[in-house]
Amino acid sequence: MPESQVIVRKPGSAFDPLWFKDAIIYELHVKAFADSNNDGMGDFPGLMGKLDYLQELGVTCLWLLPFFPSPLRDDGYDIADYMNVHPNYGTLEDFKAFLNAAHDRGLQVMIELVINHTSDQHPWFQRARLAAPGSPERDFYVWSDTDEKYKDARIIFTDTEKSNWTWDADAKAYYWHRFFSHQPDLNYDNPLVLEEILKVMRYWLDMGVDGLRIDAIPYLVERDGTNCENLPETHAVIKAMRAAIDESYANRMVLAEANQWPTDVRPYFGDGDECHMAFHFPLMPRIYMALRQEDRLPITDIMAQTPDIPDNCQWGLFLRNHDELTLEMVTDDERDYMYLAYSADPRMRINIGIRRRLAPLLDNNRRRIELLNSLLFSFPGTPILYYGDEIGMGDNIYLGDRNGVRTPMQWSQDRNAGFSRSNPARLYSPVIMDPVWGYEAINVEGQQSDPSSLLNWMRNMIALRKLFQVFGRGTLKFLNPANRKVLAYIRHYDGEQVLCVANLSRFAQPVQLDLSSLEGMVPVEMLGYVEFPAITKQEYPLTLGPYGFLWLELQPPREPVDVQLESEDNHTLQVAGASDWQSVLSGEGVEKLETILPDFLQRQRWFGGKSHKIQSTRIADWGSFENDRSAFAYVDVKYESGETETYLLPLSLSFHDEAAALLASAQNAIVCNVFSPEGTGILHDGLLRDDTTLEILRIIEDGVEIRTHEGVIQGQPSSGQATMTGNHKQPLTPRRSHAEQSNSSIFFGDRLILKVFRRQQSGENPDVEIGRFLTEKTNFKQVAPFGGFIAYQPKGEEASALALLQGLVGNEGDGWQWTLEELDRYYENCSSAQLPPPEVRSPLLAEGPETATLLEKASEHVGLYLEAASMLGKRTAEMHRALASAKDDAAFLPERMTTEDLVALCNDLTEHANVAFDTLKSNLSHLPDDQVEMAGLILGRRRILIERFRKLADMEAAGKKIRVHGDYHLGQVLRVKGDFVILDFEGEPARSLQQRRTKQSPLKDVAGMLRSFSYAAFAALNKHIARRPQERQQMEPWARLWEATVTSAFKQAYRKTMGNSQIVPAQAFDSMLEIYILDKALYELMYELNNRPGWIRIPLTGILSLPL
Amino acid sequence: MAKIEFPESTRKRLEQIGSADLLIGITGAVSADELRAKMGAVFVNGSSFSNIVVAFAGADGVEDFAGDTDSPFRYITYPLLSQDPDSVPWGEMGISQRSVLALASSIGAQVCLVLHADIAALQAQSIALLAQPVIENKCELVTPIYPFGKYEGLINSGILSPLVRALYGKRIRQPLPFDFSVSTRICSRLSQGDQRNGYTGPSLVWPATIPAIESAPISQAYLDVQHPVHTDGLELSTVLAQLAGSVFLEMETHAAHWQRVRGSQPTPLWGTPAKSFMHSEPVDARPMIDSFLLGSRNLDEVWRFVLPPETLLELKRLTRLAPEQFRMPDTLWARIVYDFALAHRLRTISRTHLLGAFTPLYLGWVASYVQEVAAASPTAAEQRLEQLARAYEENKPYLVSRWRWPDRFNP
Repeated sequence: MPESQVIVRKPGSAFDPLWFKDAIIYELHVKAFADSNNDGMGDFPGLMGKLDYLQELGVTCLWLLPFFPSPLRDDGYDIADYMNVHPNYGTLEDFKAFLNAAHDRGLQVMIELVINHTSDQHPWFQRARLAAPGSPERDFYVWSDTDEKYKDARIIFTDTEKSNWTWDADAKAYYWHRFFSHQPDLNYDNPLVLEEILKVMRYWLDMGVDGLRIDAIPYLVERDGTNCENLPETHAVIKAMRAAIDESYANRMVLAEANQWPTDVRPYFGDGDECHMAFHFPLMPRIYMALRQEDRLPITDIMAQTPDIPDNCQWGLFLRNHDELTLEMVTDDERDYMYLAYSADPRMRINIGIRRRLAPLLDNNRRRIELLNSLLFSFPGTPILYYGDEIGMGDNIYLGDRNGVRTPMQWSQDRNAGFSRSNPARLYSPVIMDPVWGYEAINVEGQQSDPSSLLNWMRNMIALRKLFQVFGRGTLKFLNPANRKVLAYIRHYDGEQVLCVANLSRFAQPVQLDLSSLEGMVPVEMLGYVEFPAITKQEYPLTLGPYGFLWLELQPPREPVDVQLESEDNHTLQVAGASDWQSVLSGEGVEKLETILPDFLQRQRWFGGKSHKIQSTRIADWGSFENDRSAFAYVDVKYESGETETYLLPLSLSFHDEAAALLASAQNAIVCNVFSPEGTGILHDGLLRDDTTLEILRIIEDGVEIRTHEGVIQGQPSSGQATMTGNHKQPLTPRRSHAEQSNSSIFFGDRLILKVFRRQQSGENPDVEIGRFLTEKTNFKQVAPFGGFIAYQPKGEEASALALLQGLVGNEGDGWQWTLEELDRYYENCSSAQLPPPEVRSPLLAEGPETATLLEKASEHVGLYLEAASMLGKRTAEMHRALASAKDDAAFLPERMTTEDLVALCNDLTEHANVAFDTLKSNLSHLPDDQVEMAGLILGRRRILIERFRKLADMEAAGKKIRVHGDYHLGQVLRVKGDFVILDFEGEPARSLQQRRTKQSPLKDVAGMLRSFSYAAFAALNKHIARRPQERQQMEPWARLWEATVTSAFKQAYRKTMGNSQIVPAQAFDSMLEIYILDKALYELMYELNNRPGWIRIPLTGILSLPL
Repeated sequence: MAKIEFPESTRKRLEQIGSADLLIGITGAVSADELRAKMGAVFVNGSSFSNIVVAFAGADGVEDFAGDTDSPFRYITYPLLSQDPDSVPWGEMGISQRSVLALASSIGAQVCLVLHADIAALQAQSIALLAQPVIENKCELVTPIYPFGKYEGLINSGILSPLVRALYGKRIRQPLPFDFSVSTRICSRLSQGDQRNGYTGPSLVWPATIPAIESAPISQAYLDVQHPVHTDGLELSTVLAQLAGSVFLEMETHAAHWQRVRGSQPTPLWGTPAKSFMHSEPVDARPMIDSFLLGSRNLDEVWRFVLPPETLLELKRLTRLAPEQFRMPDTLWARIVYDFALAHRLRTISRTHLLGAFTPLYLGWVASYVQEVAAASPTAAEQRLEQLARAYEENKPYLVSRWRWPDRFNP
């Protein structure tokens, strides 16, 4: 951009653009804060005089309720002039002086702009009602000849308004108002309105205001046939406002008032291009509900429904504000409960809420007040305090509207609570005078001189919170201790971790927290900097007093005071040059390398031993290749448990630019630094070098032999390899796969894929073995063609496969991703379906006319995926028939499933099941609250489910044992031009090679794929529900319908293609399949319990949906 | 802290200069001729930098220098901003240092070497020790270690150095140095000062704080130079108030950082300790003990606002000791400093009164220290100060807990 065009954006008073994330906002009404001229009404000079108090309190941003000229029929929310100050509160100059004084103290200022409507006294409205219909002046507001338009829009002020339309006799038309009838809504369909409102915004922002709180933001635009809330047109207006602000101003903030569900508020953040902040309305009543019910569920439930927001956005959190404690965002039952719990006197209720302040709501119990403030300060968002709540001010329910919570600030015991020296009768509102809440008992002056006052407590808490950015910016993760009276969560940000534990009960509570993932960390209580015992693998016990809370900073173990500046350098190897493998892999070099490798291995995605502690590593064998530029190293890894595994590590040395590039792009793949006469370099994973990967390809193509110290490495091309590779005079360009796998894959152009097996096990690799068999011995074409492999033959031991070369198959993505995309569309369509889906209880439908009808009906919704499932069923059956087609190869010859086999299988599955049930039982207390019931049901069926395995022993014709895929699911197939190609015959990597090569019933594969359908259905459902949590109950039947019909289509095609083949049982097909499905679901349950607790619901649902 | 604004003449000169590899800033007024001669002498063997700018405080008149085309240096002056007549030398130095940093930052000097105006003491070796590690990218800040005798620089040794070490985790001997060098990045950060909301921080430059917070490498260099500090006529309480008050303000600014720092690390050292390090005149501790006793009688009420009962009791015990037995334990002293830092933050009483009430306590510590090391070798005295610094570190949790929950109801 030429210099002349550089636009300088006017900065705000804050330095950090995200200042609002760390802010403590203090909401106040100028009218109610301090009166300087003794006219009974607070004013800006009065507020200025109290800035020292606010600075001392520690708040960082002042939010001023409307202070504009107004008839004050809605406490200033009925603005009659946007560009001035109401004379009751002072002058524009007073405001500017206040603004500067606040900025001088490091305080930001946010003002309230009511842009949805104006007062009916605003000149725009007066002009509009007299203007000709259709004229731009008239169209500043929303007019209609009838009060029947927009009938789906609810009435918000139900206590006072009967309609959203009011007849205007002068205009001879109805005007639209979402709030009081004296507050006509502006018409944002008229571009002049937005233009004028932007002028207003610029006026205040130019003055230096830091933030704008936009009132009633969901209602800006109206459309017939809608509820006139959250419309796309409204978002377009907000985006336009934000763009205009960003264009001219820096470090400002827009806060949205949208009293909606979190998922409906989420769009107000846009992609970080609408509002910077929005209130989290539904959280507030649920905090009170959780407190009264002494149960964390209302809080964890609403937080689970709270979607992620863009990084540059923030939730606004509050306990109370100038309005009623709104109960719009709760269910009817919850609302009734809240009324009963918190508003015994009907005068405490107004509209859909409760008009009380914080302290009276909590029966003036100091511990409860502290507990709720501790939640406010430690939950993810910016806390907003309402004036007076810092001293526990009371309310006056005998005043009308919401004026009972807007009484004068209680500064001292002086006349009028020190708020004003005027005649008490002249005050805008009586001060509170009763013996409990009156200003003589509760006032700032008294609490300032009382070291144990709530005010001093608040000041300390605010100061403490400001020390830790984690509270404003960190992530939140709930823990699930068995005791639901205790709320526990971990906040994490940029290396800071804080554990918060709160007792919602009026009695002391014990709690055991599973902090095993934080083993070794030392919790330090943050208020007193008191060190607690270090965390171990055991559950961490805590006891909290009534309404007690703990904030614990999790610190690494303390190191002794004397830390050597530079410890001995153990992470650099000395080498003579880029081919000096002797210095790296023998002598002192290898000793050093073996101490470095444990850390390196733990960083590798492909390393399978991450859950174990490594005791030691050893280079068991190595051999150099690529003219000594690289080396294959075999690393024995010994774990503390005593187990040993071997991993293959191709290594290279790089220097200069090559090293610098790798340092910048692939830090994790660097083993250590090296020094040589060539300069400083790095030892790294050889697969990062293109030349090294091309050399590995050549080893296969040319059948190259490499002598290692303990054996031989030998390339072995397939018979069709040359055709597959083609005539590539230009070397094929290698690129690395980024998929997270236990092996490493390299693509060569669009022709080949090389899979390097990281974990090395003696014996034939099933991926090589089956790939070669299917390619070279059968006609089954739906696999990636086998191109050759590299074998490693150590002296005196069985050979193993080092790498596998296959033809690359052009595809539209793997089956899992493709299915999820299809499901996204499916749920979107079902979401707007008029009728609920046919009820399906189990995914395994009995074949028959009912199922046929269901499939026909469902095809309308499931669509083309039914055909795809049929195709996959057909290909699966063909694969099994091909695998069973060997005539003379013992490794593949089918065998009859004997009674002994079935008994052994029964015992095996029973043993697995018992382990899974025991694991579930011991993890019961860690499950999210909504899943405890499901787990309980399953544990209750334990005996029945295990009994099912016993049926195996009684089966007479159970089909045959053949070689199977072994780890068959949607992620193992590729979608290719309306068909599927099956990949990866390696089997489950956690099992031994011998286990993976064992012949089994093909129904194991079928069960694997059917469970994969279930996973896809519910994973996509979870994604859908994350955006619309209220649709969970509505959408679950659709998920079950999809799973059942897709399962049915797959199964029918599979059986049809199998025909009369004896390899699957004819009679016992379904019962045997159910057994395998149960086994698979239990395996998944174990896996999720240990690795992905967030996914447990899927296998739980799968197990519960199996027919009893 | 107000942003440094330069007069038109300085801004024009900056524009003429454009950029620099190294900016050497003299923090005070010097004779231009003397400076040019000194530069020539110090850089007699040339420099690895070809583009060196020398800045010094003075009136406009630098054009003569600028026209000196044979000189490898280009010169620029900056105004010596008027000072509060009650200010102590460090205040003037702080403003000059900030001006130098601002000049270096505005022309993007790769290295900024800030030097005391005592150019007579300037040596080629000192410049090399200070600047070379930054020039070679070995670190981003080099602070000096001056050859103080065991009784010299005790505000530094008893308060500033151990406090900064405990707070920020770097064992810096001279956290408020007359001479230091910084990289362009740190220079820019220091010259900006603290731009956080409403910050009205200290006018003194604490060059190690930002590098410590940002984990930038820091070195120290032994310099064989002692700069004269003109404190004649100044009350100790004034000096103490300015130095301790400044470090307390710095604490307030960076509270979120230092509360996470645990332990401390030494820094690489350049050069060798100077010989003058060895000599010290004996000091009579009696007058200082008398001041302490007087303070304990007159300032008891203020101390009670600031210090907890256990500390007050220990102080009371000290008043009963015979002068020759007067010893203030390290833990007691460290906690006193911490409690005063906290009271400074909380404005428990007016800051002026607070720091005034600190002086007799400081004299009590000095008396205790000088008696303890009277017969000790300089090395043993150094070890004694190291012991004190460890006490500051060991008692840091006390500071953190008091800072986080400043309840007066404590032991």
